[in-house]
Amino acid sequence: MSFRLLAFSAAMALSMSAMAATIGAPAPDFSLPDGNGKTHALSEYKGKTVVLEWNNPECPFVKKHYSSGNIPKQQAAAIAEGAVWLVVNSGADGKQGHVAGNAASAFLAQYDARPTAYLLDADGKVGHAYGAKTTPHMYVIDGGGVLRYAGGIDSIASTDKEDLVKATQYVPQALSELKAGKTVSVATSQPYGCGVKYGS
Amino acid sequence: MRIAFAAIALATAFPAGAVSSTPFAGDHIAVTLISESDALVPGASAWLGLRLQHEPHWHTYWVNPGDSGLPTKLAWHLPDGFRAGDIAWPAPKRFTLGELYNFGYDGDVLLPVKVEVSPSAQPGSTVAVSVDAKWLVCEEQCIPGKATLTLDLPVRTQATPDAATATLFAGARAAQPQAGAWKAVAQLAGERIEVRVRGADLGTGDGLDAYAENGKIVANAPPQIETRDGSVVLIFLKSDYFTALPKSLDLVLRPRDARALRVHAFFPRGS
Repeated sequence: MSFRLLAFSAAMALSMSAMAATIGAPAPDFSLPDGNGKTHALSEYKGKTVVLEWNNPECPFVKKHYSSGNIPKQQAAAIAEGAVWLVVNSGADGKQGHVAGNAASAFLAQYDARPTAYLLDADGKVGHAYGAKTTPHMYVIDGGGVLRYAGGIDSIASTDKEDLVKATQYVPQALSELKAGKTVSVATSQPYGCGVKYGS
Repeated sequence: MRIAFAAIALATAFPAGAVSSTPFAGDHIAVTLISESDALVPGASAWLGLRLQHEPHWHTYWVNPGDSGLPTKLAWHLPDGFRAGDIAWPAPKRFTLGELYNFGYDGDVLLPVKVEVSPSAQPGSTVAVSVDAKWLVCEEQCIPGKATLTLDLPVRTQATPDAATATLFAGARAAQPQAGAWKAVAQLAGERIEVRVRGADLGTGDGLDAYAENGKIVANAPPQIETRDGSVVLIFLKSDYFTALPKSLDLVLRPRDARALRVHAFFPRGS
């Protein structure tokens, strides 16, 4: 009994941390280095819409959205509209998809992707603060620092590029709705992909 | 390399032929289309299935894969007048990796599908039954796989279960969650969803686990189990992606030492 209660408390605690990133509430602030050692804080982008994208270069779901050009195109369009796009890698050292130093820019160059920055979160602190479960897992934060979208990259869970044309792309939808001063119509969706390879 | 062994072992133990397609040797998995019986009978049902033989430590996913992963998907190519049903999913296992919870299968598993044979199928003819299968096989890393598997089956007025495959289908039937007369009521209580089950012999619920077939309602972590007034109560955390109450929460309950149960828990109006 006590064991079960304990397990449940642990699950509750986990979920509490997962619930830290709540739609309509301020997004957790963070400060992370990019692959070149430059630090980026969420707070420094106040006034701008910020997209967070959880990434693992080896994950087949991530490869689908990069090799098809889907994510690079969304990054370019968002940045052209004045938004900031931060890729975050919470893969622990020694796990699949862990990235350090130049590997981040090499990954981006491979797909001609130009996000604002590729951030390294090897201890998983930021991933845990947002409750990031999968790669990809997407978040949209408005200029006031409030979380407006959390969930999947799109509406069809698969590793097949052919599904892209039929899928609703949730981030561009949220960005255009925010730009138009509207409420984000799909504010949460179930993310799909590989599990984030946390160290602990 | 190991998979080559598995495929060879499979091909040896289970030659491609009357009731089995050529096994597909994928990364970390061997996949075969099999038939329970040696023939298709016009106007009758036939049981076909996708046999998944995983390398040790690798798994594929249930209809609700959990926090990550993808369910195995089948798209059938059948002659006119034939109809394939959905996968009759065996009760899955829980896989836990850190704080991620998944549901799926390892080892040797069969995903059975009931196929209605056209009443106008001609006895004496042969029908090519083909399926496009897609799966995601994961250890900690994941590899997507797909294959088109084909089985030529004769049409006859009578069919006989095949000794080797019928055993696998019997196993898959025994692994189905059992439906029953029990009643379950679900209730949203703040950040929790409580399900009270009545009439099922669950004892004190010791060692009981439960998985939701429909996603986005409850979190995938194991529920807390309590007994109240003789009923077992499952207390789940609400899913992070919960948007609205469904008509019912469809659960598979796994007692520690007994057959899995299927439970549809309804949300009373106003809950």
